[in-house]
Amino acid sequence: MNREWIKVIIAAFFEVCWVVGLKHADNSLTWAGTVLSIVVSFYLLVKSGEKLPVGTAYAVFVGLGTAGTVLSDIAFFGEPFKPVKILLIVILLAGVIGLKLVEDEKKGEEA
Amino acid sequence: MAWAALVVAGMFEMFGVTMINKLHKDKSWQPFILLVAGFAGSFLFLAYALQTLPMGTAYAIWTGIGAAGGAITGMVLYGESKHWKRVLFIIVILGAAVGLKLVS
Repeated sequence: MNREWIKVIIAAFFEVCWVVGLKHADNSLTWAGTVLSIVVSFYLLVKSGEKLPVGTAYAVFVGLGTAGTVLSDIAFFGEPFKPVKILLIVILLAGVIGLKLVEDEKKGEEA
Repeated sequence: MAWAALVVAGMFEMFGVTMINKLHKDKSWQPFILLVAGFAGSFLFLAYALQTLPMGTAYAIWTGIGAAGGAITGMVLYGESKHWKRVLFIIVILGAAVGLKLVS
């Protein structure tokens, strides 16, 4: 695993932080943390895209981000575990990842 | 209202992503400012939607609309590939988003 992929993973971590913040922030400190997380997440994702194939990096990022938000919902905020809902989220995620990977495939063919 | 806000947030996201692509081609201030405005709008509407919707559902739909919308915009406005795989994944995303609305 190289530095670029570590950036993607840290970006996804901050992505989950700001989603939690957008829902639960209730004072200036938590809102500041939310905005900071958005900036850090974006910055790292854009930076990693300079070296990695953008579609693949985004696919990994969004996969980790979605898994993180769903798990945080259930683990920390008492959201009930509904298999049908999780399945639909997984299907949606598969669509997003598929779309992003097709983009890299296409660029690979052009190159 | 939360669902409508989520769709609007996804559309702002889609606009922001289109501006990122523009910024990659043309490193100037204009797409950068539009990008920041697009994402600011997106977060504003997403925050509103999140007041009532669970995080996992809202986040997945938000990124889904951004990705599917970005691909549709690319196909319609920028002549990007209309490969069947892309069309299929867009249908999968939109179908799953509608499904999530129905089970919520």
